[in-house]
Amino acid sequence: MSSALRRAAAGLCVAATALAARADPLPERGYGLPHDASLDGHRIDWLIHFTIVGLGLVFLVVLGALAYAAIRHRGKHTAAYDHGNSRRAALLVLACVAVVFFVIDGNLFVHSIGDLDAHFWNFKAAEANPRMVRVEVNAHQWAWTFRYPGPDGIFNTDDDVVATNTLHVPVGVPVVLQLASTDVIHSLYLPNFRVKQDAVPGSITRLWFQAQEPGEFEFGCAQHCGANHYKMRGVLTVMAADAYERWAAASAADAKRGFDPEDKDARWGWEWRKF
Amino acid sequence: MALPATHAPSAETQPIHPAPTSFVKKYVFSLDHKVIGIQFLWAGLIFLLVGGTLAMMIRWQWAFPYHPVPVLGSIFLRGSGGVIGPALYQNIFTMHGLIMIFFAVTPVLIGAFGNFLIPLQIGARDMAFPILNMLSFWFFALSQLIILASFMVALGPGGAGWTSYPPLSTNIGMPGIGQTMVVLALFTTGVSSTMGAINYVTTVIRLRAPGMTYMRLPLTIWGLWLTAILNALFIPVLGSAALLLFLDRTFGTQFFIAGAASVRGGGDPILFQHLFWIFGHPEVYILILPAWGIVGDILSFFARKPAYWYRGSVYAMCIITVLSALVYGHHMFITGMSPMLGKSFMLLTLLISAPAMVLVFNWIFTIWRGSIRFATPMLFALGTVFVFGLGGLTGLFLGDISLDLYLHDTMFVVGHFHFTMAAASFLGAMAGIYFWFPKMFGRSLSERLGKAHFWFSIVGLTLVFGGQLLAGYAGQQRRLFDPYQYTFIQGLRGLNRWTSYFAFTLFAGQFLFVWNFFKTVFARGHTAPQNPWEVTTLEWTRTSSPPPFHNFDVIPQVQRGPHEFANPKVKELLGRDYLGQAEDMPEATAPAAGAARA
Repeated sequence: MSSALRRAAAGLCVAATALAARADPLPERGYGLPHDASLDGHRIDWLIHFTIVGLGLVFLVVLGALAYAAIRHRGKHTAAYDHGNSRRAALLVLACVAVVFFVIDGNLFVHSIGDLDAHFWNFKAAEANPRMVRVEVNAHQWAWTFRYPGPDGIFNTDDDVVATNTLHVPVGVPVVLQLASTDVIHSLYLPNFRVKQDAVPGSITRLWFQAQEPGEFEFGCAQHCGANHYKMRGVLTVMAADAYERWAAASAADAKRGFDPEDKDARWGWEWRKF
Repeated sequence: MALPATHAPSAETQPIHPAPTSFVKKYVFSLDHKVIGIQFLWAGLIFLLVGGTLAMMIRWQWAFPYHPVPVLGSIFLRGSGGVIGPALYQNIFTMHGLIMIFFAVTPVLIGAFGNFLIPLQIGARDMAFPILNMLSFWFFALSQLIILASFMVALGPGGAGWTSYPPLSTNIGMPGIGQTMVVLALFTTGVSSTMGAINYVTTVIRLRAPGMTYMRLPLTIWGLWLTAILNALFIPVLGSAALLLFLDRTFGTQFFIAGAASVRGGGDPILFQHLFWIFGHPEVYILILPAWGIVGDILSFFARKPAYWYRGSVYAMCIITVLSALVYGHHMFITGMSPMLGKSFMLLTLLISAPAMVLVFNWIFTIWRGSIRFATPMLFALGTVFVFGLGGLTGLFLGDISLDLYLHDTMFVVGHFHFTMAAASFLGAMAGIYFWFPKMFGRSLSERLGKAHFWFSIVGLTLVFGGQLLAGYAGQQRRLFDPYQYTFIQGLRGLNRWTSYFAFTLFAGQFLFVWNFFKTVFARGHTAPQNPWEVTTLEWTRTSSPPPFHNFDVIPQVQRGPHEFANPKVKELLGRDYLGQAEDMPEATAPAAGAARA
């Protein structure tokens, strides 16, 4: 096959793909991180961005060196006879590594530990807030069921508010979730709050976040949990404090009216776990 | 000749066996490591095509959900009118992952190169255990057969993801014989890999030619050897996990089923994740170490310059091998792992980036001040450095717990591990195939087609996996049948569609390789000379292309390391820029030298 024919065939392939692609929308809006509606999400965003910039610089420098070497040394002169075995050669490599390691990895490690201890894993502070909201989550194929303790503050009683795929929380207050699963492993994922946590059968895991603005946000499942994994989606409604109080009182009254003492399966909640 | 104690047994213990004559002994149940290597190559490349086809179906689904798949749909999905449904979709991505990792990349990188290269590069006549070697291939073929058969049973093949997490992978989530067959195939391929690994480890320790000290081994052999050690240690763990899962599915045991509202059991699903990832993370390095070794050698060979700080590269690979077993917990950061354990795993994970960077900087310094020949294998090796850079750097985000709170289980993870395990392993393997093809088949592949294949691959891989990283950064979860159920992902429809177009182009570009390969193997093609690339290692300098059954007429006496390029003294005396590993320095024609031949 002649090279002209070959080039024509390759060109045809590219043209056909381009034609097919032209009919479709160009990449739309929607890039970048989802809107951050949480108290602590900005810590994750900052760390991601610092790391992108830092690693981007490293990558560009390395790529530049590679490209320069490839152009400058493309067989025009004889190669240097250098095994790079000297102490100086080793130190050069180790110095390059040390710079990247301490700046990028070091920053990641220090910030991550700090953020986890002070914020994301600091359940003590979250639960110390007298207004904090506690919710028990039961994940199952393929929905999320939430249980609020109701006015009595105790789970598994007749005033528990139970909701499926909708979660209502007040703004500006820590929300602490304890998660369990009925069947397989699921993972509660709140993209606008930058958190997720697996729900594992046989154990109880926990997660907390705090919403900073009212509105409706999506949550979903992040762990493949069967054919309808993609449908395990719900809506988180963040409400102003007084609206939340009204919602909670009305829902608790509804729950009490609908309570069926015979239906044992409906009382899947557990005593709030102390970790 | 008195050999130092460190030297392996030589000629007396490596007799020349007569070559087999019957077709079955020669090509089917062959004991010859070269034939077995080529068997693995074929088996792997065919499954690479199968896995790639499945990937195209996933990409179609993300671009055009609920639309009939063109061509493939009318062949394989007649029952549903060519449309992929949610249940079938989970089968497709599960089998894509399993096939690519265990039945395509593993046989090509480890089965093919390990078998073909280890004896040839260390100067041995065959593997230490030829029968075990043959069994290793046939167990592997059996496991591939089980995988193919699992597509034909009721309820389809496995659907619990390539990681097969229970309880989803037990009868609770995946009823039907298909998932059981997948687990069985994993176990069988584990048996095959373990046999291969024992063989490789032993061969490198026992059968090195005289003078082939550890610090004179080609980097390729270091990569393959360390891989074999990891395989020997950790594949049995995967085997035990697969066996326990098999018992849970078939005999009603409850190793991985915990008591929960709707199920009873005394087991622990997280236990499986520990078993899986203590194998699974070394597996990442099992797939990349051979590619690193190949790249390290090829960069030196085609830059015509010694590999920079060879010892540093060797030490770095050894450290990574050890660390690879200690970092697996980063796959489980959000399972509810104890904070102390999580932080320890995070520290160890970040540590592993230091030796990996040593390798990268050594590669850069190797080609620096070289005299580069841009042949196809060199392009693929440079491409490997590029995509491994992207894969490695994105790994830093994911080694970090607080970023995993957001990024875990998103497309960012998918993009990251495709850059390392798919792109870097694939390009590394292709560098190896283009480089050793003349030695394997005695013919040279077309350079023009090879270069076109390279550009399709590097551009395609970068755009496809880059698109995945972007989708993950914007929050898209992995493994969604229809991502656009979520409002916040709807803006990514264009991105996903474009990524799919790039994927289709990448896939189409691979047929350049298929054509090149078949054309050269079966039809005409330039007969390759013994050492077409003018390099130093034993398989090129001391035996023909392809080598005879017994590899070497005389077991070579190795004199030096594998990267003796650009030595001015050699240039002056021999008029060329390289000196073979077993070649005498021209003036040293003393009587002791047993075999001096270019």
